[in-house]
Amino acid sequence: MTPVHATFGEVAAERRIASVPLSHVSVELGHLYMEDYEAGPDRLREQFRRVAPWLATVRSLWQERVPGGRARVSTCFLVDDYFSRFSTPAELVPMVLEAAAEHDLSIDYLARESACAQFEDAQSGGVELARLVEDRLVDDPPPETDGSRPPVKETGWLCNGSRSPRTAPMQAMGKTRPWEPPAQNAKRGHSIFVDVELWDEKGPRRTWSCPFLAAVWQLLRLGLLRSDGQVPLPPVALDGGWPRDWDGLPAVVRLNPQAAPFSAYTTLSVLSPRFLPVELAVRTILSQVAVDDEVLRQVATRSESEGVRLEEELVDRISYVFV
Amino acid sequence: MLVMGEVHTGLLQNSGEISESTCRQVLGLMAGETVRVSRRPIVHALSPERLTGVDCALPTASRSRVRGVGTVVSRCAVTGGRVAQGSSYVRVVRSDADRRLPWSHYLARPGVVEVLGKAKAADLAEGFTGDSAPGRPDGACLDLGAVSGRFLDLVQQSTLLDRRAPFKIPRTSLRWVAETGEPSIRFTLHAEQERTLRLTHPGPFTTAVVDLCEDLATHDWLLTSLLVIVERARIGGTPGAQAVARLAPAIDHLMHLWMPAARVEEWLTPFWESLERRPGFTRQWRSLVDRVRDQVAMNTLALLNATADAGRR
Amino acid sequence: MLVFAISDKGGTGRSVTGTNIVYRHALQGNDVCYLDFDFGSPTAGAIFSVSAVARGTRENGLHHYLRGECPQPRRVDVWAESDREGLRTRPPGAGRLVLLPGSEGGGELSALTDEVVGRCVQLLGRLDEEFDLCMIDVSAGRSFTAELVLAATVRMPAIPFRWLVFHRWTRQHIIAADGLVTGADGLLDVGTRFGHDTDDLRDRIRFVRTAVLEPDAAELVGLRDEQRAWLSACDSELRELAGRHGVGRTAMLGKIPLDPVLQWREQLITDEDVLASKIANAETATAFEDLAKKIVDDSAWEGL
Repeated sequence: MTPVHATFGEVAAERRIASVPLSHVSVELGHLYMEDYEAGPDRLREQFRRVAPWLATVRSLWQERVPGGRARVSTCFLVDDYFSRFSTPAELVPMVLEAAAEHDLSIDYLARESACAQFEDAQSGGVELARLVEDRLVDDPPPETDGSRPPVKETGWLCNGSRSPRTAPMQAMGKTRPWEPPAQNAKRGHSIFVDVELWDEKGPRRTWSCPFLAAVWQLLRLGLLRSDGQVPLPPVALDGGWPRDWDGLPAVVRLNPQAAPFSAYTTLSVLSPRFLPVELAVRTILSQVAVDDEVLRQVATRSESEGVRLEEELVDRISYVFV
Repeated sequence: MLVMGEVHTGLLQNSGEISESTCRQVLGLMAGETVRVSRRPIVHALSPERLTGVDCALPTASRSRVRGVGTVVSRCAVTGGRVAQGSSYVRVVRSDADRRLPWSHYLARPGVVEVLGKAKAADLAEGFTGDSAPGRPDGACLDLGAVSGRFLDLVQQSTLLDRRAPFKIPRTSLRWVAETGEPSIRFTLHAEQERTLRLTHPGPFTTAVVDLCEDLATHDWLLTSLLVIVERARIGGTPGAQAVARLAPAIDHLMHLWMPAARVEEWLTPFWESLERRPGFTRQWRSLVDRVRDQVAMNTLALLNATADAGRR
Repeated sequence: MLVFAISDKGGTGRSVTGTNIVYRHALQGNDVCYLDFDFGSPTAGAIFSVSAVARGTRENGLHHYLRGECPQPRRVDVWAESDREGLRTRPPGAGRLVLLPGSEGGGELSALTDEVVGRCVQLLGRLDEEFDLCMIDVSAGRSFTAELVLAATVRMPAIPFRWLVFHRWTRQHIIAADGLVTGADGLLDVGTRFGHDTDDLRDRIRFVRTAVLEPDAAELVGLRDEQRAWLSACDSELRELAGRHGVGRTAMLGKIPLDPVLQWREQLITDEDVLASKIANAETATAFEDLAKKIVDDSAWEGL
């Protein structure tokens, strides 16, 4: 008898990673905070007026870059409903869309900032994107980190180097150490040391920081997050009108049925310069997030197959215009 | 160049074996990532992988200083709801740069440590698994054992475990190096709980090699632990009933776990088979198991005789 | 099982009693280890007659480890490394006997950080996996070390632990031992602050009297009747005092008789010291043996 070749498989033993449709670039047209809202619709119009030429520029740059000129560009807009709740979707969203339309901008997707922390609805169940990203942080090791000790952590903080060592003696009658400066790991001559607060806790409630949620937002737009192998928070079209309560709004709403996919190979955010420190913090966080190997491979394969060369490091796939 | 890793294996700190669903919770080390479980021929649960950043000297036999930067991959496993492992490894490759690059560069290559400057694979392999390696008193260099030990702690400190393990037993550590080349395998017992493994395999490295090393570590731990329990029983030196009572934990918790090469890919099974010829893991295991069973049988006989005698009187 | 050894004051014989209990427990077939957390004066090495670490170790001692200066603390296998002939071979049936020495020239901890507690938790958790009994010498009186282990045990709720409070059989020591446990900033007070349940913690604490001179002891044969009567009166007075301070018979796990060997040289009392050279009293060895059993005997630890 010839030997029989047996194959045996177990579904629970295999890892399956869903793929996500991708645009070439996701352009964030703005980010609405309470104070912007309070400043009235003129502030919004002003924002969109500044953004409009940059969107056109990005579109034409990608059209040149993509064979056949068929660039997929999607636009999005983020509303802060996490740090402060104001107005209602029914009142606010039409106002935003109107202000954008005045400058010939179409907002393809509208997202809620609180969904970057956690989101729950009947359709997708619950997903805590912020926790998911927190578990994927891999601290940038200072030289002489050999794994023998757990990474030095200040709970709830993340930095780009090593902090000043403690000066107090560790034992009675021991020596105190002189002060030493903190140091950036990848310094060029001199340090630019950055220490970012990721969250704070008052009692049982954890509040994620604005830069941390912004980092989650970037990863979501880059299509690099998965929850149990599934793509979290896929955009949904809204049936009926705008709800009167933020909790009634999906995490990411598709406003334009013809829009290119929400997630993209690269992102561009057009922001006011006052967001510069926040975005430095975002980059500090993102340069320490380990995206799943399999997901990275998926995106790389896809982009290569359509002749787009992507930057290897994900922080290099993110760009900004500060105006 | 080469892959190096270290597996720490210990008895799961729980009174009995844990169920598959508990395994899933204990090993859920990362939000949004599932624990992989296979049920045949023995329940084996594997945690999602996590990374640890390192920038340090790599162990070399020549004591020359070789700096490596990158990430260590680690994971935990529970076999048969009873044996817990923390396992870490790195793929060592030459860096194209002569200085450390931004951290995001290394995160784009999970599990890779890039060597800055010159290094020879043989020097690193010998430095990591050579005679002087375990214990390593001098100079700080890449300590995969410490990383694996902490991952094993994560499992053992889980609040889902009752910490009432049926017997006390030390952890074992297996350091391994894998390279591509003419197939060969060398397994070495060092002092107490330290073991090393040198493996040369055909074709490129895949995680199947890690599975093989973890499987070997599991079985070496089983054998080591059964030996300890048999020694503690002092067969012949203590009354039969007492010896049998001391052997009981082995019967209850270890003897059904022997499942060599259960999770080893087919192309790697010849390595297990060669270790079965020399030193013969299964041979020694069988002989110990027979010894335990004989003790129990003899003690049962003695008890039956005693009962019969009492009945006659 | 973790056993923390503490005393109200220095010079109570805490270390020598603790090490002897551990030694007897190993002889009874258990794997045991002894952790020298007496950071001001780590001298357990001397009691085990391991001269290389007689006053602690220069490298990889417990202080170094807790301060984060070494990844793992050094372990000394007493059966292999003791200088005493009688200890150098592991008797048949005996378990492992391992010493984790303190650091030579180390001082008391001066602060309690989260990292230090984390390291302590890691260490005790790992030792508990492989040893039947881990005895931790916490030194005398209120200290950061005592705080450290109180904080660490809160984080390991499933690992069983017990406390032994050593004190001498005198008026001052009885009052001080009670104060150490029940007084302000005592074990119960601080333990409760860290998250222990007060009653549960109290049930885990027992007293051990050291250097006890029994009124009917052989040593007292030469005494005059007046002296004996006075001693006897003192003893009953102390018993009454101990009862009032919660240090009485019910809270006592055992007592160690006064033995000249322990007074003049802190050492392990082997059976050879009792039977062959006869320098030590048989009662002393029996008391250690008895304590070594009681320490893990749940009936001796039932709620008061």
